Amino acid sequence: MKTARILSLGLFTFTLLATLAAPSAPAFERVGDQKILVFAGRQEVPTIDPSVKYDWSIRMMQQALYDALVKYVGNPPEIVPWLAERWEVSPDARTWTFHLAKNARFHNGDPVTAEAVRWSFARTLKLNQGPAWMLSDFLKEDGIKVVNEHTIQFTLGQPYAPLLSFVPWWYVMNPKLVLANEQGGDLGQKWLTDNAAGSGPFKIKRWQQGVLYEIEAVESYWKGWPSKDHVGGVILKMVRESAAQRAALLRGEADIVEGLSADDFDQVAKMPGIVVPNFPGMTTFGLKMNTQKAPTSDANLRKAIVHAFDYDALLKIYNGNAVLQTSPFPNATRGYVAVPGFPRQDLARAKEFLAKSAYPNGGIELEYVYVQGLEEERKMGLVLIDNLGRLNIKVRMVPLIWPNMVARGSKVESSPDMLAVFATPVSTDPDAVAYQYHKNSWGKYYGSSFYQNADVWGLIERARTLPKWEERAPLYADIQRRIAADAPELFGMLANRRWGMRDYVKGFVFSPVRFTGEVDLYPLAIVAK
Amino acid sequence: MLFGLLCLTFAISHVVPGDPARLAAGPDANESMVQTLRAKYGLDRPLAVQFVSYLHGVVTGDLGQSLRTRNTVLEDLLRYFPNTFELVTLALLLAVVVGVPLGMLSAVYQNTWIDHVTRVVSVSGVALPAFWLGLMLQLLVALHLGWLPLGGRLGLTAASPAPITHLLFVDALLRGEWRTFADAAAHAVLPVVTLCFPALASIMRVNRAEMLETLRQDYIVTARAQGFSGFRVVTRYALRNAMIPTLTMIGLRYGWMLGGTVLVETVFDWPGIGLYAVSAAVSSDFQPIMGVTLVIGLNFMLANLLVDLAYGWLDPRIRRASAT
Repeated sequence: MKTARILSLGLFTFTLLATLAAPSAPAFERVGDQKILVFAGRQEVPTIDPSVKYDWSIRMMQQALYDALVKYVGNPPEIVPWLAERWEVSPDARTWTFHLAKNARFHNGDPVTAEAVRWSFARTLKLNQGPAWMLSDFLKEDGIKVVNEHTIQFTLGQPYAPLLSFVPWWYVMNPKLVLANEQGGDLGQKWLTDNAAGSGPFKIKRWQQGVLYEIEAVESYWKGWPSKDHVGGVILKMVRESAAQRAALLRGEADIVEGLSADDFDQVAKMPGIVVPNFPGMTTFGLKMNTQKAPTSDANLRKAIVHAFDYDALLKIYNGNAVLQTSPFPNATRGYVAVPGFPRQDLARAKEFLAKSAYPNGGIELEYVYVQGLEEERKMGLVLIDNLGRLNIKVRMVPLIWPNMVARGSKVESSPDMLAVFATPVSTDPDAVAYQYHKNSWGKYYGSSFYQNADVWGLIERARTLPKWEERAPLYADIQRRIAADAPELFGMLANRRWGMRDYVKGFVFSPVRFTGEVDLYPLAIVAK
Repeated sequence: MLFGLLCLTFAISHVVPGDPARLAAGPDANESMVQTLRAKYGLDRPLAVQFVSYLHGVVTGDLGQSLRTRNTVLEDLLRYFPNTFELVTLALLLAVVVGVPLGMLSAVYQNTWIDHVTRVVSVSGVALPAFWLGLMLQLLVALHLGWLPLGGRLGLTAASPAPITHLLFVDALLRGEWRTFADAAAHAVLPVVTLCFPALASIMRVNRAEMLETLRQDYIVTARAQGFSGFRVVTRYALRNAMIPTLTMIGLRYGWMLGGTVLVETVFDWPGIGLYAVSAAVSSDFQPIMGVTLVIGLNFMLANLLVDLAYGWLDPRIRRASAT
């Protein structure tokens, strides 16, 4: 009993201390005279090695810590000079020459040279991870040439017009620093997991894996700052639950949140002191149909499905914060055209197509696979059940966790009849989207339709090698029309990108080419006392 | 037992669909990139070879490497396990300190308002899902009342003490960093209460039932007849005997809580092995899953050993029986 009394006393003291130490609700964090922006995010940053991986949270931090030769800015996205002041491309789109800014410096003061650019590109190609796929078919290590200290030249194996659109994601590292921290010939992979060797506007301050990631502004950033009120640093704090993110924003524990539900975004938007930037993104939502396995291998059945679906229901699921697709390409993609006669709900036409199919009376069951726990996709499944029921087609909803979905979609035999997929292209060049319909994309989650059309593949291959946009544009228009006509998927909508943000956060610049929750931290400022 | 656990976890994690190399390589990776990762992490070898290699690693202290974090699993476990250990230990401590006396009171005052209230508490504890309770506490205590933080282990600008034991509370105490200790305590209250509630309810119910049984025994009547005070009879004679089944429940609960912290860790962003395991599971990152299973299994066994030892301490008959 004595022990119990001691324990009780200890517990009481613990609780008392805890209650007394409860923090007030600060607006943003202050360190000295610096204003530190707090970003509540759901997704961890397991590595920041620019050669190894990217997704929205990783890339947000990479973009803050590193610079690339060029950068995507604005809406519509524009590629602007960054480490490279200017560049030239040969008429055949095989030789690309970039001239570097002479004042660019890594965080340790070393100059950013052409040799650093060469080494960084070669490292990414050699490790064959992360962004390597973007250029590895065209650019080999021996095709990278240092012309002089501030000029770098890439000679491609074959012409590749979209090259520039991928360069913003190839960050430049300080080779001296990385190699000084190399372990067992790993080209610094271990060290770069949670250390940075960049020249970006921020540098690492604290890196607590799975808890928070803090970066601080480099006051002497070689490119300068767009605002005198720029943030002194950013804390990306892990807040994994949507409800907790909402509470953190309302309580002032977070200045920006990214993961609220559609309803929560609408609610917080009405609250004083909070703004919700709301922009159409480039992320498409579609139902990929297996075009090589019955019953969805029947093109008429697929066309019946895309004409039976209630597209307006998609908009309702997102409370109107989405736009319907009018082409297989997102609207912000270069060369996008609104395809005439793009499918909309038309039951009469749906029945006509069904009558021409091998299943004129329906009587079949289709499998709809979606991400377990994603409420919006579950609701879309309910819409499908209702809509296809009118064609006497049953829909079986199968929720799966993401790895199992990817595994199912990787083979023709296992790919489901309909797979719910959100896909974000990594560049604004139409090749980034068109290539999702090429046979080389089979096996990837967005290639789960196993779309077959040799003519379309030929057009895609030709369009990516033509140097002049005037020659490429009509090919992409044709590609969009042909894909839509084949109906390999039910082309759905582009959900808006939204963030909940305190109104004293200024300078937010939206660019649809960024991933889901990704924000460019460089132009952000806090304008408050 | 541990070997069986490892075999089972290895089999399950390799039978489920999902290609860890493809997921680690990223959604846009081409086949050559996926192959590069398969070769790097030995995923291109036959399953039997992978298993033997894994077992050899376990014996030599190498639990493999995470494809997601790119760290060794041992490094990751050393980072995350102390957080879970502190959470579970504090929650269990609270459950015992509150649950045992409440169970005792409920039995002593059977069918009075005290008994009714404690029974409502115990039924609620069993019935309320942890994630719901956690969210409600966050909304009420953190958001509306503003008394406690929403989640995490420390405030945003607070620095962790330099590690000695890797246990935040212990390190803060050892370093004399009282503000950090208080900050950590503030952050621990809601997750600890959420995690402790179901355990508290179970302990309370078992203790109440055992106390009711014990209080009817002849030796209790004899003790009362000899004029011992009611308090002494209940705490010294009845409670001690009723504690044996309660101890079993405490041991079991410890194991369950270790394996079941995942929801609480997710709601409160508590960086423990539950969160680590979930992140690994959604990436089909097998080696961390096996590492976490191993650690939980080991702790479960250790907890049961401690419970067995405590039996002897509580009941001299068991102590003497094992001595002979």
